[in-house]
Amino acid sequence: MHEQKTPLIRLAKRGVMSPGRMWAIRGASFIVAILIGAILFLCLGHNPLEAYGTIVTGSLGKATAIRQTVKLAVPLLGTALALAPCFRMRYWNIGAEGQITAGAIAASYFALFWANRLSGPVLIPVMAVAGALFGGICALIPAFFKARWGTNETLFTLMMNYIVIGIVRWLQGGPWEGKPGSQIIPTFAKSAMLPKVFGIHIGWIIVLVLTVLMFIYMKYTKHGFEISVIGNSENTARYAGMNVGRIIMRTVFISGAICGLVGFVIVSGANGTLYDSAAGGVGFTAITVCWLAQLNPFAMVGISCLLGVLDKGADTLQTRMAVPASISDIITGIFLFCMLGCEFFINYRIILRGHKEAAEK
Amino acid sequence: MKKVIALLLALVLVAAMLAGCSNKSAEPAGSQAPADSAAPADSAAPADSAAPADSAAPADSAAPADSAAPADSVAPSDEGRTVKVGLVCIGDENDQGYTFNFIRGKDAATDVLKAEGINVEWVVKYNLIEGDPVADANIELAEEGCEIIFNNSYGQEPAMLRVAADYPDVTFVGCTNEGSWKDDLDNTHNAFADIYEGRYVAGVAAGLKMQEMIDKGEITADQAVIGYVGAYSFAEVISGFTAYYLGARSVCPSATMKVQFVGSWSDATLEANAAAALCDAGCVMISQHSDNTTPATTAQTYGVFHTGYNNDMTGIAPEASIIGTRIDWTNYFVHAIECIANGTTLEQDYCQHGMADGDVVMTELNEAIAAEGTAAKLAEVEAGIKSGAIKVFDTSTFTVEGQEVTQAFAIDTDGDFAPDSEEAVFDGAFHESYFQSAPYFALQIDGIEWLNAAY
Repeated sequence: MHEQKTPLIRLAKRGVMSPGRMWAIRGASFIVAILIGAILFLCLGHNPLEAYGTIVTGSLGKATAIRQTVKLAVPLLGTALALAPCFRMRYWNIGAEGQITAGAIAASYFALFWANRLSGPVLIPVMAVAGALFGGICALIPAFFKARWGTNETLFTLMMNYIVIGIVRWLQGGPWEGKPGSQIIPTFAKSAMLPKVFGIHIGWIIVLVLTVLMFIYMKYTKHGFEISVIGNSENTARYAGMNVGRIIMRTVFISGAICGLVGFVIVSGANGTLYDSAAGGVGFTAITVCWLAQLNPFAMVGISCLLGVLDKGADTLQTRMAVPASISDIITGIFLFCMLGCEFFINYRIILRGHKEAAEK
Repeated sequence: MKKVIALLLALVLVAAMLAGCSNKSAEPAGSQAPADSAAPADSAAPADSAAPADSAAPADSAAPADSAAPADSVAPSDEGRTVKVGLVCIGDENDQGYTFNFIRGKDAATDVLKAEGINVEWVVKYNLIEGDPVADANIELAEEGCEIIFNNSYGQEPAMLRVAADYPDVTFVGCTNEGSWKDDLDNTHNAFADIYEGRYVAGVAAGLKMQEMIDKGEITADQAVIGYVGAYSFAEVISGFTAYYLGARSVCPSATMKVQFVGSWSDATLEANAAAALCDAGCVMISQHSDNTTPATTAQTYGVFHTGYNNDMTGIAPEASIIGTRIDWTNYFVHAIECIANGTTLEQDYCQHGMADGDVVMTELNEAIAAEGTAAKLAEVEAGIKSGAIKVFDTSTFTVEGQEVTQAFAIDTDGDFAPDSEEAVFDGAFHESYFQSAPYFALQIDGIEWLNAAY
């Protein structure tokens, strides 16, 4: 045995921690994020209290502001819900952006070419189903390869994003282009737009219903159980007689279908048309939402609203206080970093040299 | 566990101390602000009291690219009126081209209006290309009290129009587009200047240079080939390069042109690649309808000449760039904001404003490389355009598939994107930007070769 010097800082996996402590760490990380952000504002010559005040009033101060904030949170929540079963199964679906876009393409097809043949009450559900189906199929392709040949789904789903977005670019400049050379797909007819409740398109109701459904699905159904068994150990699942490949494909299809539904909500509710960056990075941000919420659907509601508040508030910050837009992004980044980073302290503890390695229980 | 919390608490303390320090150091900086900015008039929210600090910032032209323009010159004077104005930009002034040109117009308009006793408080939103983010920016600006909101790019209009219906008291302007004046909303407007006139003049400068090269024996007559970097095969672009070509051919009869489309309004690398491909294909003169300066620098690298758009590019490519043309948005900004301040009606389409009104201007001629006598000739051509003696799209000067053009419609009324009304050809010329400000000349004339029409 070699005599090795103990490193100055060591990490050790923690045992079970009481919920109280966990929340104390999370609360502390939130405060740290606020303080780091405050330093940033001070460096820029702004009063941090005013800056944070602007973020809050800008996102929640008025009915119209709240509507905008909710509108930003809707696709985030929807996509995070979609990713939850995949992540529970330890299937790394990084392709939500493409699956959203695929759903948006299918929904747009009906909005553009069937609006005069179908009436609103029929058209909207058709768009929704088409979006879900298309998103699901888009997700199924890498899942099939994974189930059949064990390909790496992370790279595969990521690459699919660029293909789907490329298809939109082609549609924009080609068959669906409006004015020649404009690269712009015409705006949908009114009948293809989602109706509004309380001034926000009904996408918010759709995702809230999905939240409850997803919670039940993950927690109380046989499917949900199978998903978590595979997530913990594929061999156990196989030993228990589960058809792992089928379950992977089924779960990923559901995930992609929900992403596709989000794509439908984005084009039909918010945009009223399709363009290459319609998904706008939601597919990636939602990964963060999903993990911050620890895959808990109800926690996702809170996290996506928080991100909505930061996003909208940062916009108002730029408008009112002339804070550069990139600074707003940095603030959002600091919050996410601190909140994700604190999970590290929940899972590990730091042992300094010279201290006894007492098992903390 | 306790240690972790202790560590975090220590961090908090350190942060608080730092916060305290920098607060003090920030205050003296703030006190350099002009004294009169102490009390902004519209203190709707507590956040507004930040305005004094803002005005301490240096002139906004020096501000980082993606920052909102500080609310410059807010200092409310006793007399005069303050108008809050929104500007939604596709890029930022770092492009040194398209958006930079708008920011320049904004700053100039602010000075002009100030002299008239109208204070302008600008709020600028950057890097918004299309879709819902553009709608959000328009909502944000309207909610923050902007009385007029300019959207500077074509692709922003559909999103802007969706918002405009909800804010009937706010005036919305979609620059370079055509959907706002046609729709049934009264508060939506379009604006575009007759840039094809400037293109024509730039073409004359290019033609003179090529003719000089022919006369000196540096190139043969059929080597007088212009390479044009175009964004898309879109009416605005087609109109521009056709005008440019006609200008060149008016003084260099053997000139021909190749157009390479980029497939993007703004992509520095692709624009450079397109320019390089054109140089490789034997072009001796490069011009562009794209947002960046890379075609100019590429031309310089290849030892050929260049004329620019949106900005003076002679500084960045002194051995290549002869002249440029740009829209001067000052006039329109001043006019529109005056209408808001005085409560007069702003026309729905700002049409038929070109060189004669100063809405289209030429950048400074690069005398060091321009052909001899260019300045005099350009002055003559400019005068001709201003007086109407020179018609840019004179139908006797070009043909389409060998035939003179006798008929072409200007406006699309049924929404299929093919013009179907308003005869544009009369009095021996195609009348561009006559029935609406947005260009509609989309004919493919003889002498111009489209290398890739896919875009």
